[in-house]
Amino acid sequence: MTAFRLGLVHAPAMPFTREHRIDFDLLGRVIDFHRRHGAEALAVPLHVAESVSLTESEKQAVVEFAVERAKVPIVAHVSEAGSARAAALAQHAERAGAAAIIATTPYYWTPPPAMLLEHFALIGGAVKIPLFVHNAPDDMAGARVTAELMVKLIGRLETFAGLIDTSLDWQFMIELMTLAKKARPEFQLLAGNELMVSAAAIGATGMVSSLAAVAPRLVRALYDSCHAGKLFEARAAQERMASLRHAMKPGGAPQLKAAMRALGRDCGDPRPPLMPVDAADAKTLSRALDTLLADEPRGW
Amino acid sequence: MQNKFRGVMQSPVTPLKDDFSLDLPTFERLLDFHVRTGAPAISWPHHKAESLNLTLAERKLFAEAAVKTVNGRVPVTIHVSALAVEDTFALARHAQDIGADGILAITPYFWNPAREAIYDYFVRLATSIDLPVISYNSPSYLAGVEITGELMARLIERLPNFVGVKEASFNSEKFLEISRAALKLRPDFAMLTGVEYLLPSVPLGGVGSYSAAGSICPNLCNATFEACMAGDWERARDLQYKLSWLWLLFRDQYPSSLKGGMVMMGRNVGPTRPPLPTATKERQAYVRGQLEELGILDSEPYGW
Repeated sequence: MTAFRLGLVHAPAMPFTREHRIDFDLLGRVIDFHRRHGAEALAVPLHVAESVSLTESEKQAVVEFAVERAKVPIVAHVSEAGSARAAALAQHAERAGAAAIIATTPYYWTPPPAMLLEHFALIGGAVKIPLFVHNAPDDMAGARVTAELMVKLIGRLETFAGLIDTSLDWQFMIELMTLAKKARPEFQLLAGNELMVSAAAIGATGMVSSLAAVAPRLVRALYDSCHAGKLFEARAAQERMASLRHAMKPGGAPQLKAAMRALGRDCGDPRPPLMPVDAADAKTLSRALDTLLADEPRGW
Repeated sequence: MQNKFRGVMQSPVTPLKDDFSLDLPTFERLLDFHVRTGAPAISWPHHKAESLNLTLAERKLFAEAAVKTVNGRVPVTIHVSALAVEDTFALARHAQDIGADGILAITPYFWNPAREAIYDYFVRLATSIDLPVISYNSPSYLAGVEITGELMARLIERLPNFVGVKEASFNSEKFLEISRAALKLRPDFAMLTGVEYLLPSVPLGGVGSYSAAGSICPNLCNATFEACMAGDWERARDLQYKLSWLWLLFRDQYPSSLKGGMVMMGRNVGPTRPPLPTATKERQAYVRGQLEELGILDSEPYGW
């Protein structure tokens, strides 16, 4: 069960038509692009794929489509505000053939630790495939998990396989790994974005990357160095990645889609209430990418 | 050129008598302990030395004692941060007068200063003395006030004596942002973490740290630094996990539990000044149990 390990996971964007419907033809091309450019697994649909703007049936359709198309393991993102709703998505993902599920802290409710524990236990307990908890305080109005809570969840849930971190918090990550590795030696830590060097030093063995849609070679180079334990060598790639992240501030789906458009991989605009990057900013971004990404693929 | 501020530098606590007055002989003993157990530099009084609970006269008295006792064996820097900025300037001038090797200063307390105010503050401070200045970035303790990469670059360009940062965000992105900005302009700029978070910082250009646990386990501090600099990540990870566990043990109401732990290592430095509590006997025993579990009682020096 816990033998399932995640390495380099790509998090694709969600293409929409002009009418804001999911463009499945284009989604197929997006998935093919990621698979050809180094994805060992795909996480769908994460926040960067505007999961929160998708209906329940759309989320299910996306997971089914990805499983059919990808030929690499699919990790289904099942976060919801209500535990039962998230658990139902998890069950659907399992039936559809997903290899694992990802869940964040519940939306909107300001969750105390006991609520978080029950939430994750209900979601993970609804299926037999592994659960990865996504710790994303910046996305979740500051809601975060603690190391102590994760150890309790290990005690409750045999299938709790690891944590995807975007807090970037060294104190948390080290405390987590110190405690979690004692409770479950095969527990996995994954960097939830492309800042992997420090996480890898601490013990992270995977990375979830949305910028793989923009700079797949750089993502692969960074991941490979980290994975091989060549952390001093990884610094150059990490610094280039920091430049790219800086150019794409504040990040998220609008910037990702603007960057993809600039690189010849147009996925349409984000769904409202998200707004597309305005024309002037898109131009600035496009120029910055020309300089930063000379050796990255253009087009599909 | 290699910056002289590197490795796990020790910042002694402030030993107090039972009536909370300064205990000078024990302070001298502690300084000597740190130098003998391999501290590459000494810095006093950090927050762990209860800096903000000391009077200006007390800070000057012990700063002089530190310079005199260390006596050139390793560099001594003085932490000059005070609630009133004018006191900070006075402490900086004093540090220079007594022959210290540098000063350390945090962004101003309490007022949530704007970025330009932080810039002006460091420019005023660093141009008022000839000593090397190490800045101190601690956004989580100062309500988000921080030195960004851009601000750090401007300060380095403006100030030839701006030589390093005590970086206490403990965050991958913030550390990398400062390190990229600073090292491009000043390759020997010292990227130091606030306490011993060496493992995640050294691969990004870190060259050392200040220390929380050095008065408990100097050997562990130095071994962790060596393992990181050698790129021996497996070993570094084991050692770092232990050091970080100690930090979590000491972090709340710092340095109360640290002082309690020092009693258990045969190095009694007395109570902690209110409003911080003094570690109870029960807390001391709990800390001792943790030290035993980590193997520290067997691998680190006992007594002075």
